Amino acid sequence: MILSRVGDALYWMARYLERAENVTRLLLVTEEVATEMVGLDEDLARAEWNDLRVIFPSPDGDGEPPRRANALAALALHELSIDPRHPYSVFFSLKKARDNARTVREALTIEVFVNLNETYRELEGYNRRQLADRPTFRDALAATHRGILSTAGAIEQTLARDPGWLFLKLGESLERVFRTAVVLRVKLPALVSPEHSVDLPLFHSRWRGLLRGLSSLENYRKVHGARMEPADALEFLLFDPHTPRSLRYGTATVKDLLDQVSGASALSLPARVMGKLAAELAYQGGDVLRDDQCLLFLDHVLGELGRAHETLSTTYFGT
Amino acid sequence: MNWARATSGYDEIFDADGRPRPHYAPLISILESFTKEDVERRERLQRLALMNQGITFTVYGEKDGLERIFPFDFVPRIIPPAEWKTIQDGLVQRITTLNLFLLDVYHEQRCLTDRVIPAELVLSRTEYKRELLGLTPPKKVFTHVVGTDLIRDEAGEYLVLEDNCRCPSGVSYVLENRTLLNRVFPEFFASYPVRPVKEYPTLLLDTLLFVAPRPSQSPVVVVLSPGIHNSAYFEHSFLAREMGVPLVEGRDLLVEGNHVFMRRTHGKRQVDVIYRRIDDDFLDPLTFRRTSLLGVPGLINVYREGNVALANAPGAGVADDKAVYAFMPALIRYYLNEEPLLAQVPTYVGLRPDDFRYMTEHLDALVVKTTGDAGGYGMLMGPFATKAERARYLEVMKTNPGNYIAQPLVHLSSHPTHLDGRFEPRRIDLRPFILYGDRIRVLPGGLTRVALQPGSYVVNSSQGGGSKDTWVLAPREP
Repeated sequence: MILSRVGDALYWMARYLERAENVTRLLLVTEEVATEMVGLDEDLARAEWNDLRVIFPSPDGDGEPPRRANALAALALHELSIDPRHPYSVFFSLKKARDNARTVREALTIEVFVNLNETYRELEGYNRRQLADRPTFRDALAATHRGILSTAGAIEQTLARDPGWLFLKLGESLERVFRTAVVLRVKLPALVSPEHSVDLPLFHSRWRGLLRGLSSLENYRKVHGARMEPADALEFLLFDPHTPRSLRYGTATVKDLLDQVSGASALSLPARVMGKLAAELAYQGGDVLRDDQCLLFLDHVLGELGRAHETLSTTYFGT
Repeated sequence: MNWARATSGYDEIFDADGRPRPHYAPLISILESFTKEDVERRERLQRLALMNQGITFTVYGEKDGLERIFPFDFVPRIIPPAEWKTIQDGLVQRITTLNLFLLDVYHEQRCLTDRVIPAELVLSRTEYKRELLGLTPPKKVFTHVVGTDLIRDEAGEYLVLEDNCRCPSGVSYVLENRTLLNRVFPEFFASYPVRPVKEYPTLLLDTLLFVAPRPSQSPVVVVLSPGIHNSAYFEHSFLAREMGVPLVEGRDLLVEGNHVFMRRTHGKRQVDVIYRRIDDDFLDPLTFRRTSLLGVPGLINVYREGNVALANAPGAGVADDKAVYAFMPALIRYYLNEEPLLAQVPTYVGLRPDDFRYMTEHLDALVVKTTGDAGGYGMLMGPFATKAERARYLEVMKTNPGNYIAQPLVHLSSHPTHLDGRFEPRRIDLRPFILYGDRIRVLPGGLTRVALQPGSYVVNSSQGGGSKDTWVLAPREP
């Protein structure tokens, strides 16, 4: 068993590390998708960046965003990569992950800390002017992405499977499934509305972007092949039992971890919340995919995930 | 390679004729075999390793960029076996005395009635904790961990500069410096029988387990830290990791029914030994400083009941007071009936009117220190201060003479240190670490701190000092 404060710090360290990975990946994907789109349909390119800024909102709401897609892109790329004040910037998340790691170094291994610290320091070395150059930007963010993955690898390879480990994995999987739900909730209204289905190649490339943004495109193709069918893609992201970023896989993982934390016999409050949600996702039929049903269902999922986080914190961290 | 020699004070490497001392000769020939570029490349690797591993300390009074690496110089300081023997025996003698002194001043106070040391000097110290009078810590140990600062005078004799009986820090750098040097200059080790230092965490844990109130119950040991903003946080975390015990903060502990517990994710667990790296004043807001948020309310009561051991024991700080230091030779003779094995620096005590008058009249030749402060804060280096600085200091001194001591400036020994491609003499000191458990053990090594500015005497990390790996050599087989 571990100190409540240590459990809390490990949980948040993993959440922030996972968040940093998500923001990095979504930035890289959005940048690529929008770059190709901007000449064909500037509004669509602009919408991609807008979505990203809704998924990762700035706290001050910062007034009217630029009207041109490229200007908006430059703004979003800066604020979500290295802006130290933006609560969803990769830098901010990595800093928080590292701050938490520093308070519990005794619960980590040197490999985990060094990987995290190196990744943070490398990103810290960039300034706005350097990152305004797109190839430099891609290169820097790709390096950050590798660094985050190698930190996750060090966690996997070197840490003892003790209660601290369970809280790390809980932070990681809760953040992951929560982010999938948010991304779907923000992007779905435009993707299912009929008006954009006119230009099919463009429409499909947006769906592919969604799958890639949730690192699920390759996994989707293994199941459904290269043909892009929006209904299949949506069902895959919600209900696929094997891809790590589907809602079903994510909730089941969180539930398993909570069961391990509380022990086989005891049923904790957060385990109860997540058990019901995991069952819903495992046994839910395709009817929920229809029209506005899906958005309501996503709102429900988001609410329950929030409840799981709150009950988890009060049960184990005393916060 | 370019080696400059010291112009004043003892030179650790070169003798008066400019020849390397025998125990440094192999090192110099190894270093001579490197090119300048080799050395620079190794130094870059070394800096990178420090940064990436987060081996840092915190500087107070600076804003957010407060993490700094502790500069490391790769030229090791080498101590031959015979020299070390003197240091070790002297330290054992000193720590034994310090502990006897503490037992005495918190019980019969014989040394005060026998006038070995003025009673008002001891009893007026803020580190003397009246609340703990009559209390005997578990196994009668007050000073579980001591770091004593040594310097060398012009003749090369080791002198005690001060004892640190509260929470001496720096031992993590002793271990990390060894790891670092091993990584960056593995070639150095082949020619020397260097005594290992990596046993320290094991010895520390043994020391702590020795004082556990419930030895049969597989006692729970924790390291208590003020938290991440403390300058020595890296060390707190390092020692917890190395000993395999929890690192706790005050808010992780609670007192219930005269026992101390830690709050865990699955219920609480009793704590037996607290290696606390928090000053006395912040330990328990119910007994000491009321406004402290770092401590644990009720902790001292549990300690009083004998249900928890604290290392070092509360109240131990009075023994390393800079004014008490002046009486150490007398105390050694008084308690052990032995002559001190290690000399110390002559000290004027502001509490004695004659001493104070001397201090005010010779400020330009003296190093003046406040008795309570550590880390080089609040001191005046008379010979280097301007007239105005001295005058200002004097005004403050006069308001509370008892708060000051003064010593003549000792020309610390110098050691070649690699700076900008040259080996330059820089002044050094030495802090060995002593553990007091079932017996007294001195770690064969220590923290050699080095003043990086030319001519500077200030080696404290908080004031821009660096450090070196310190080698104590094992006696060679005949």
